Amino acid sequence: MNYEFNWFYVQKSLPDLFDGLLVTLQLTLWANAIGLVFGFLVALGMMSKIKLITWPLTIYIEFFRCTPALIQLVWFFFCVPIIFNVWWSGYFMGILALGLNLAAFNAEAYRAAIQAIPHSHSDASVALGLNAFQRIIHVILPQALILALPVLITNGIGIFQQSALVALISVEDLMYQGRYISTQTFRPIETLTTVALIYFAVSFPVSQAVSYIERRTKRLLAN
Amino acid sequence: MAFVEINGLVKRYGALSIFEGFDLKMEATDRLVLIGPSGCGKSTLLRCMMGLEDIAGGQISLGGKEYIEGAEAGKMRIDAKIQKDVGMVFQHYTLFPHLSVLGNLCLAPTRSRGMKKAIARDKAMELLQRFGLADRADFYPSQLSGGQKQRVAIARALMLDPKLMLFDEVTSALDPELVNEVENTMQDLANAGMPMMIVTHDMHFARNIATKVVFQERGKVIEAAAPDELFGNPQQERTRDFLRNVLHING
Repeated sequence: MNYEFNWFYVQKSLPDLFDGLLVTLQLTLWANAIGLVFGFLVALGMMSKIKLITWPLTIYIEFFRCTPALIQLVWFFFCVPIIFNVWWSGYFMGILALGLNLAAFNAEAYRAAIQAIPHSHSDASVALGLNAFQRIIHVILPQALILALPVLITNGIGIFQQSALVALISVEDLMYQGRYISTQTFRPIETLTTVALIYFAVSFPVSQAVSYIERRTKRLLAN
Repeated sequence: MAFVEINGLVKRYGALSIFEGFDLKMEATDRLVLIGPSGCGKSTLLRCMMGLEDIAGGQISLGGKEYIEGAEAGKMRIDAKIQKDVGMVFQHYTLFPHLSVLGNLCLAPTRSRGMKKAIARDKAMELLQRFGLADRADFYPSQLSGGQKQRVAIARALMLDPKLMLFDEVTSALDPELVNEVENTMQDLANAGMPMMIVTHDMHFARNIATKVVFQERGKVIEAAAPDELFGNPQQERTRDFLRNVLHING
């Protein structure tokens, strides 16, 4: 390899990279907000006995789980405006597509968690005079969150990485900035390596935290 | 009218029939213990009284007021206001693991009865004190022994001032050395005058705590009497068979 490293340009464009990181983190947080809340509602809906509720939800979940995130993103960006005659920014479409993708995966995590909650808790809730809403909010949701937490975090950090796809629809995230700088400066190795390291620096501690959290929750919920 | 009245209770699980017209009465001064072979519907009876089971027919009343009326599937009528006067403790631990002991005790009063947090807290501490569990208030259920869990579950039910307590085999899942503390707690409650219905396999305890013992088999009351009579001089052949079996008496 006959390549002379030159970190000057990367150093100079670090502020731009961090601007990109900020956009990436915003996308991640919004997508996770959708994924955590909507995912739980979908999981609850999936427990319904009414087919009119479970069927559309099943189609939604399987569609998002069985197609590439990239096509979902691009489809939202190019097709939604035509079908619904609206124009939303790539940033917003990115959040929507990533959020719905995450919600589909999280719904499965919640569903497994809810099914792991002993049915006797439901009986105890009735005996304590809690109505269905109070039971869901104070008994089911907190336990489902705790049980599903390791998977939810893993999914959430997955979306942090997947969010790099939004660069393709011109959202100025970390990936977008990295590619832009690398072509502008002809320094792909320095720039793209730096970008990769930034993604790694955020993801790695979180994925390490998951196993710790897993141990803690196991202990808390042991009966 | 008796304090608790069950009239013509019908309960079926699909084709399996548990009760076809079951009647039972209990006075407010009674502590009624249900005994009988497993699968005879003792637990189901308590679950019906708590409103946890869909019943196909019959009425259940408490304090002279009917609160559950059976009907065809899904049409059972239930008066939630009176249902709230019934408290229940289960065989399996049902403490909510994500809440501390105090949190478990205060959840229902504050969320479903509109009790102020500080008042619920004081009341909870008072109960825990009485049960000798005050130092466990901030513990989580996973940090408690089985016996402590069941006593907390009893305290949790008492937070709502029930007029009738149902105990469904609350010591069956416990290690033998932990049974006593739970039974003692129940005995204290009995001494304080709480009306109870108890399902248990512990005949010694049944004899001590009961004012009336009901021997039940295949969804029917075979014999009901004061404990000394039922255990000392059972009238029915089937009662004698059952007691001989569980007490391991020969002859």
